[in-house]
Amino acid sequence: TVEDLFTSLNRHIHRSEYEQLSEYDQVVKLADQVLAVVPGDEDAIRCKVVALIKDDKIDDAVKVIDVFAKKFPVDFGFLKAYCLYRQNKLDEALASLKGLEKDSATMLLESQILFRQGKMDASVDIYQKLQKSKIESLEINLVAGLVSAGRASE
Amino acid sequence: NPIVLDLAYNSIDFPSIENRM
Ligand SMILES: [K+]
Repeated sequence: TVEDLFTSLNRHIHRSEYEQLSEYDQVVKLADQVLAVVPGDEDAIRCKVVALIKDDKIDDAVKVIDVFAKKFPVDFGFLKAYCLYRQNKLDEALASLKGLEKDSATMLLESQILFRQGKMDASVDIYQKLQKSKIESLEINLVAGLVSAGRASE
Repeated sequence: NPIVLDLAYNSIDFPSIENRM
């Protein structure tokens, strides 16, 4: 049943946290089995896309997103923007961030995109806004941005 | 130039599917 498939999915997702890359293949396989029964299942498609991203199969993730989004009204939001960033499609990535709610995830991604575009001051600005959010390793990126912006003294 | 870490990656999580099991 679909419930059994999700139970297996959950098991493999938890195992993947302990770094067995092969678990991501299992997640994709099980998600496909759910989608074979329930073609528009949003949880299943999100599991599949996240597994592909975590398995570093960014091009595959984008293909899956695009094919699915043509058939079903699912907004992949941050996942799509992140994939575009990884594909170095920076303008498109920024554009797809525009419609999303501003939270620490979208702000971190925006800052990374701006950094790659050479807009160091704008990138640093975002890290400074995020400083109170206690994000792990944020200061590494803040310092990288400041140095690149010629503001190492700060 | 220094490189930035991909901190945005850490925000990518599997959906919660407990209620589907
Ligand atoms: K992992």
